[in-house]
Amino acid sequence: MLADDMACNARNEYPAQVFNNENHKLNLYGDNVEVDYRGYEVTVENFLRVLTGRHENAVPRSKRLLSDEGSHILLYMTGHGGDEFLKFQDAEELQSHDLADAVKQMKEKRRFKELMIMVDTCQAATLFNQLQSPGVLAIGSSLKGENSYSHHLDSDIGVSVVDRFTYYTLAFFERLNIYDNASLNSLFRSYDPKLLMSTAYYRTDLYQPHLVEVPVTNFFGSVMETIHTNSAYKAFSSKTSNSKINSEMPLNQLSEDDELQKANIPNDELKTEKQKCPYTQMRVDLQEKLEKLENVDTVVNLSIAVMFIVVMVSSSLL
Amino acid sequence: ASAVASSNSGEPMEGTSGSLNPTTDTSGIMPEFDPKTMRSSKPGLKRLFITTSVLFSFLLGVPFLWKSVEIYRSPLPFHDIDSLSDQIESTPLRFPCNFHAVFVGFRSTDADNLRSQIQDGINQLTHLSPQCGSCSFSLSVTIQNPAEQCSETLGHNPSSCSYRCGMIKSNDFGVGLDDTVDESLNDVFSGCSANSRKMYSVVVVNKENANGEDEVKAVVGKRRHAWIVGSGLEERNDDMVSRVSEIFVKMFMNGGRDEDSIHGEFMPVGSDGRIVLSFSLLNSNPRDWVYDWDFQRIDDALLAPVTKALAPIANISVESQVLYHTPKSSFSSWDEQLQSYIFRTSDLPFFVNSNEWHLDTSAGASGRSKILQFVVYIPSGSECPLLLQLPNGEISKTNGFISPMWGGVIVWNPGNCDKDSESPIRNTISPQDIEQIVEIFLGQFRQLFGFKSEAIYTSVLGTYKILPSERGFTEWELDVLSRKHTCFNLHSCSTTLSSLSKLVRSLPRMIIKDEIGEQVKYSLKAAKLAQSNASLGGYSSSASSSREARSLAENAFFHPSIMSVSYFSYEHCFAVYSPFFLPVVAHVVLAALREWKRYRQEKAKYLTWLTRKKTA
Repeated sequence: MLADDMACNARNEYPAQVFNNENHKLNLYGDNVEVDYRGYEVTVENFLRVLTGRHENAVPRSKRLLSDEGSHILLYMTGHGGDEFLKFQDAEELQSHDLADAVKQMKEKRRFKELMIMVDTCQAATLFNQLQSPGVLAIGSSLKGENSYSHHLDSDIGVSVVDRFTYYTLAFFERLNIYDNASLNSLFRSYDPKLLMSTAYYRTDLYQPHLVEVPVTNFFGSVMETIHTNSAYKAFSSKTSNSKINSEMPLNQLSEDDELQKANIPNDELKTEKQKCPYTQMRVDLQEKLEKLENVDTVVNLSIAVMFIVVMVSSSLL
Repeated sequence: ASAVASSNSGEPMEGTSGSLNPTTDTSGIMPEFDPKTMRSSKPGLKRLFITTSVLFSFLLGVPFLWKSVEIYRSPLPFHDIDSLSDQIESTPLRFPCNFHAVFVGFRSTDADNLRSQIQDGINQLTHLSPQCGSCSFSLSVTIQNPAEQCSETLGHNPSSCSYRCGMIKSNDFGVGLDDTVDESLNDVFSGCSANSRKMYSVVVVNKENANGEDEVKAVVGKRRHAWIVGSGLEERNDDMVSRVSEIFVKMFMNGGRDEDSIHGEFMPVGSDGRIVLSFSLLNSNPRDWVYDWDFQRIDDALLAPVTKALAPIANISVESQVLYHTPKSSFSSWDEQLQSYIFRTSDLPFFVNSNEWHLDTSAGASGRSKILQFVVYIPSGSECPLLLQLPNGEISKTNGFISPMWGGVIVWNPGNCDKDSESPIRNTISPQDIEQIVEIFLGQFRQLFGFKSEAIYTSVLGTYKILPSERGFTEWELDVLSRKHTCFNLHSCSTTLSSLSKLVRSLPRMIIKDEIGEQVKYSLKAAKLAQSNASLGGYSSSASSSREARSLAENAFFHPSIMSVSYFSYEHCFAVYSPFFLPVVAHVVLAALREWKRYRQEKAKYLTWLTRKKTA
């Protein structure tokens, strides 16, 4: 969800490009970036709808949170905020009790197993004050009464490009490689209040596992739980006949589904029903006759000529 | 005097009563006339009437105001929802099953003893604690001696079909394919499960020392029967009893798994009762080679039976696509010994490249269906052949893995890894390879539903061979699935409805549309139907009713109008209307009260004057 007013802003020197560092090495709008909600769709209501799953029927799957009871969700929010609220689009506010209520409903409906909320705003820690649901881990970039600051200014573009908390989080991940088993504890310990100019506060009272044992890949990196398939299910190897694809489909013998089998003889039944109605029978016959005609065009032309003659005759008689 | 009095009462007074004009009064006659405590004229009612009529009109308008701010809430059956959830929590759902054990070639005639032994064995394995979806069984035992005479004991609820003595011959066993034995046993037992109670049978055959073999072979068939063949079984009675109990409990009741219940992680049915199987053939580097498949024939010949077999549990639809330029995101290394590229199980969590693999692009699946992705990955020329190495050093036989609730990946290496230096040829995967791939897919599909992908079960007592069915699941496995899914769906339905009722009660000013009320009503009805079908033993009908109950409950809960942020509390309503009405109401009420007080004072003054006049 991005308000997305920067990339194509008239004042952006690099149109359609957004960088997170003044060295311009990484274009955040590069390949394979998927933004699901942008512009006017970013509202508190849509945000809460995504969390709780209450969409209209027509909303496509890419705009839904398709999680289930084994999912780990990372929720990262940044922008302007204050005491128990976060600002949306300069017009609305997300209150901490609304967020807590949405998370409570998600937990009741088993939409997540573990949820990590990361907030980078002023007074960020107040946003998750009201959370009560188990399985939630939350970290904010500053305490109540503190501001969060941006990291550096890009003099080329004229705005600050990244906030301190986010910058140091990304720096932590840049130092890891795919096989490192870094824990969340090492991530949280890497924040230095002097560098951040605010206190990064996290709350673990609702999260049971110890942070030292939880790998960062639980939430970051789109990593899946996998189980090896030990063997194939040799359903076709026992057949001594030809390969199944080339042979005929055998009849299925389900002992309790006799009704289904009756429904699989469609054509005869439908035909008998149609014969009961003379009008449809007539139309069917007519259609069959027409289909048998080889040269439909001459028939049509002839009939047009006949019609013309009939009209002339009748109008001359009148 | 009356004219004066009326003009006096017609003037608007500021609350200072008693400031009557004493000079116009004819009080000169009474020397003790005190204007502060007496008045000579009766006080009028007009002032009181005006103020109280204003107050009264306000009060008359209150019901109209109340009606205009009332919100429509369709009445939900809270009591029924609570009773359903209590019922489901307290009494776990149990399905009736019939167990029948037939001992062929045994000389003893004590069927009752055998029966109680087997019953003890089963009770030991089920720990006497009923789980939702388990069987409440009735056991019957038949012993057929070599002379083809039978002695039998029947259980509490015997099935309508009974075993005709002599139908099973010990010569049928041990020769020929297991499939033919399965078919012949089916002829014996086929009539028995057509009614409501499903019958599961185990046949123990004691052969008279055939070829001097001493081994015991145990096979579980594709329908609802199993058999154990061996020689010298009568001596090993306890062993046989344990194996028979194990087959009844571990196979027929629990589906070949060790735990009793299936976790939510292995219930991949979407909340609208549908599953979409999305097959993708990934050519990771089409510059090396391009492969295609004839998916229509795969679907018609190999997948249709599976889809049909699972119809009571989920409405399954199938779609497929072929993708190009889809590299994987993990790494592999060259192994000189195996002459191939190796990737390990530690790489599996990173294998799926969600950036480049555009898998979830189904336009047909609605928001609440579950999509299971099945990916056949064809490695590029620089990584061919690509093999999966397990932690113990072995090479995987399937080269595939699953991720629960997501789907499965199979890595398929083209037969010939030499690239043609010219432009790549388009190949189609041969039917034999397709069959192998579909066999691995069926194994993965079973894993996603919580079953094992291999067709063998090993326990301390021995191994059991399970005959694989081309429908992906044997009939007794389908029964287990129906029972477990009915349980899960009913449980999910009741928790959803309780959450909904709690939510609705906590937001008293939220509009509840009629649609939601209807869905709740039908969901409760379907849940009751599922429970009654389950107690009668209709597995597939209870599975589909429970699926409907769950889907309706989810539709009601996830109705887009239930958003707490759109509705306001009573305090908000009060805060909106009070600036309009409070100031005016305060003045009107105060004025009426003041006028009433003044009227009483004036009346008292008049009365004292009257008494004075009388006494004087």
